Amino acid sequence: MATGFLTDTTVCIGCKACEVACKQWNQLPADGYEFTGDSYDNTKQLSGDTWRHVAFIENPKKKRLTGDVDLVALAEDVKEDLPNGAELDGLGRWTFMSDVCKHCVEAPCQQACPTGAIIRNEFDNVYIQPDVCNGCGYCVPACPYGVITSVPEDGRAFKCTLCYDRQIDGLEPACAKACPTNSIMFGEVEELEKVAEERVKQLHDRGYPQAFLYGTPEVGGTGGIKGNHSKFILMDVPETYNLPENPFLPQDKVAGATVASAVAATMIGAAVVWAFRG
Amino acid sequence: MAEETKRNGKPETSHHPETDPERGDKNYYGIPPIKRAHWTWQIYVYFWVGGIGAGSHLLTVIGHLLGWRDEAFFRTTKYTTLATMTISPVLLIWDLGRPERFLNMLRIVKLRSPMSTGSWALSLFGSMSGLVATKRAAEDGLLLGDNFLSRLAKLVPDRLVSVLALPLGLYVGAYTGILLIATSVPMWARNWLLMGPTFLSSAVSSGLSWTSLVLHLGNWGEGKTLGALKKAEKIVLAVEAVLIAASLVRMGKWSKPLFSKKLGPLFVGGTLVGGIAAPLVLLSGKETRNKSILASVLVLVGGFLFRYVMVVGGRESADDPESYFTFAKKDGGRPEAGSK
Ligand code: SF4
Ligand code: SF4
Repeated sequence: MATGFLTDTTVCIGCKACEVACKQWNQLPADGYEFTGDSYDNTKQLSGDTWRHVAFIENPKKKRLTGDVDLVALAEDVKEDLPNGAELDGLGRWTFMSDVCKHCVEAPCQQACPTGAIIRNEFDNVYIQPDVCNGCGYCVPACPYGVITSVPEDGRAFKCTLCYDRQIDGLEPACAKACPTNSIMFGEVEELEKVAEERVKQLHDRGYPQAFLYGTPEVGGTGGIKGNHSKFILMDVPETYNLPENPFLPQDKVAGATVASAVAATMIGAAVVWAFRG
Repeated sequence: MAEETKRNGKPETSHHPETDPERGDKNYYGIPPIKRAHWTWQIYVYFWVGGIGAGSHLLTVIGHLLGWRDEAFFRTTKYTTLATMTISPVLLIWDLGRPERFLNMLRIVKLRSPMSTGSWALSLFGSMSGLVATKRAAEDGLLLGDNFLSRLAKLVPDRLVSVLALPLGLYVGAYTGILLIATSVPMWARNWLLMGPTFLSSAVSSGLSWTSLVLHLGNWGEGKTLGALKKAEKIVLAVEAVLIAASLVRMGKWSKPLFSKKLGPLFVGGTLVGGIAAPLVLLSGKETRNKSILASVLVLVGGFLFRYVMVVGGRESADDPESYFTFAKKDGGRPEAGSK
């Protein structure tokens, strides 16, 4: 049985309850009290100490808001004409997204790890065994999503465990539990895929043809990571959320690169033999 | 970035890059979508030192194969390999976040992780070349005369061991490149086919130059040896030049960090011109001792700078959202689907 997340960004309200719940449950240190000026995002990114990160994206529209506005219609982003000639486009929209480890089906971080610290646990989640990791840091540049990160004070690499400890006790992960809008759903991957399919269809029917599911085999499928156990319903191109469109499995190239090096070694060796024979 | 942005008279709604013309950042506030490797000086120094050791071992094996008898030559190559293979693990363990757990590297073999195969190769190659050098030391009387240890060391079948160690040694020279390409960093991953070969050619040219430098400085070695080294240096440098040129073509726009304000002078001046072109010219003219020494030093410095700009350039590449996003597009620069 594989468990995972489905994060429906369309209902996220940017409350950061997931960030806080994650920090509390996993006893992660604060990131400092920095004001970035990047909208309301003072967390910036996932890191070894931050395993959920809420992205704040402002989509301001060009036109000003004029006339008498129906605020309910505005909130629902109704596309039709508003009463009294009001124009909707003034305030723009928010887009929020609670980012997390994607728990890749073929995880680059796991394949990179030389100590075998990164494993797939019985829930088919990608898990770092903290007592094995020796802090080589090779998993960090391997991750196509910038998730796994070394913590210099500790030396080792850390990331979302999908609340392995809570799952063992039959609880859902802390972030999913805390999420007040059910933007973060936890469950069996197959179940979540069905939920996602329905929700995307619903969004399409409601006039949002741009809605799609990120993390399916098509995303990175051809490059070998075969999709993610932690998926997202997005309303914009992936780059808007700081996600790559089509990530790949770096280790797919190791065999080819090794063969190329062996050929080169033979040729260079032969060249030196030739030179040494005079 | 954000701190320096002036906000007078700026949009009512946001400080978003798209609406705030005073912000220079793009995408998600210019925050890198992938994380760079933490690698610092230990790593590029290791890449260089390990390369010299691998190159020197190749020379040991070829020298034996051709039945050379030049004692100074073998002394140089064997002790060089021993020294570099002693320094390398120290640098690597130093770089670990938890150095006391370095043995976990040998807990498991993972063929798809160059960090794993490289650690194994380095350990085995280091031990085997250590045996070869110990025998040499015994023969040179460096093990404090005729004692048990030196008699034991003289029993080492050094030719057999060095031949067996050769593939491992060559892998130590090449895997440093493969280590870089098996990541999500655009500049490295893009050059997946040629990175290993390029690092290997640089390892061999550094090994040759180091050996030639030592022999010249000590006024050791037969004339024939020095001539052969010079000839090999020229060929391998030419191979290296071709590989680097092909790599740059392959990297295309993702090679930008190599030509940045900080790295450009080092890469172009230090590696391409100083480390390859100039030594080739020096070695092609009439032979003098000083010219050979200068050429060797230039190759060694150029080889070091090559590794430096590759490692640090990868850092810049990972920090550039535009570079990663264009690379990870469906029809972008990422390695072709399906091909292994
Ligand atoms: S998203 Fe990154 S850290 Fe998470 S499983 Fe995939 S490769 Fe590993
Ligand atoms: S830092 Fe730890 S988890 Fe990451 S690759 Fe190295 S040993 Fe594995």
